[in-house]
Amino acid sequence: MTDPVPPSLDHQGSRRLGRREEAFWYVLAAVSYVGLGVYHKWLLNWIVGPLWLVATVTIGPAIIDRIRRRSTSSADA
Amino acid sequence: MSWAAHQFEIYAVHAHLPRKMQAQVSYFGIYLGDFTPDFLSKFWVYGFNYNGHHYGSKVPERWHRGWPGMGITHTLFLGVIFAAIFWAWKRNRAFTVGYVLGYAAHVLTDVNDSVGVMLLFPFTALSWSLKTWAYAATIGGGKYLDAASYYSSLGLVMDLFWMVVVLCSWRVFTREYWRTKVVPADPHIWAWFGRRLPERGLLALYRATFFYGVCRMIAWSTWAHLVARPVINGVQHHGYPMDLSWTGPWWLDARSLHHVSPLLVLPAVLLLLTLVYWVANRLWEPMGRAQDAARARRSSSSRS
Repeated sequence: MTDPVPPSLDHQGSRRLGRREEAFWYVLAAVSYVGLGVYHKWLLNWIVGPLWLVATVTIGPAIIDRIRRRSTSSADA
Repeated sequence: MSWAAHQFEIYAVHAHLPRKMQAQVSYFGIYLGDFTPDFLSKFWVYGFNYNGHHYGSKVPERWHRGWPGMGITHTLFLGVIFAAIFWAWKRNRAFTVGYVLGYAAHVLTDVNDSVGVMLLFPFTALSWSLKTWAYAATIGGGKYLDAASYYSSLGLVMDLFWMVVVLCSWRVFTREYWRTKVVPADPHIWAWFGRRLPERGLLALYRATFFYGVCRMIAWSTWAHLVARPVINGVQHHGYPMDLSWTGPWWLDARSLHHVSPLLVLPAVLLLLTLVYWVANRLWEPMGRAQDAARARRSSSSRS
């Protein structure tokens, strides 16, 4: 019998974000997209815009988790 | 034309579905219905330059909204035709109804600019326009002038209005709403994305159109009013002048096509909106029965 999936993990075993962390990534995505979009208008389209958010929210926390794991394992060693 | 309003109205439509349709109308159907009119017509409106030659429409407003032209893309008639084709092909009620509602939202919102849409095509090719703001797609100005004009006029108010409508229904953005009201109507599409993305990515994908709408509204408004240095009537301005008067802004000639009296437009829009929801409501159960019968046929033929 397999263990039930902990509520903090999703169907892929990825971490679910808390409210504050989620808000942080959304605001980061918005500020960076608007900031760049004002001067690089080609970014302001229906493909890049949605992808920008999905990529930030998906990849950002994964990178942070990897860095944290690496620094923890190097501290243990 | 409308800008971010088209992104916001998708969520507004989903949040205000009739009770019996809640959790059963496809979000992707509404999205694609709202997206189709401009997807089919807009690229050629602005056109592009290559080797010193401009490729695109000669008269943008006629191409975009007129007949002959691609104005048919901004008619309820074509939305219903596309939905009927999809229904005949897939017998998918959630997507078909969502598609019609999304398409109707786009068409009915676009009556606000000075060109308007052919609301009663194919019975008449006359444009129906409230002339709330100036239609500003031009060959010389392209997307930049169009954005500057829109975000200096009541178009900005229209975007803000739709944003507030959606924010008043803020629950539409919660994980719970997505899980219980959005995913069940499109289980296969979300399952397909779910094999590639974690849940936080799926949720971001669902919220992404709103995100894009807010960001493009802020970015284009910021550029138009804080960054751009336009020369209007020989005078250089720090930002495009704001003008919230009817059919503004004053510094641009509002384009228009042969149209009916603007006084007729609002009643016609309300009537058509009511008609669309009434028909969808009446067809909801018969479509459900036809969908179930088609699924039963498919599953029995796949077993045999």
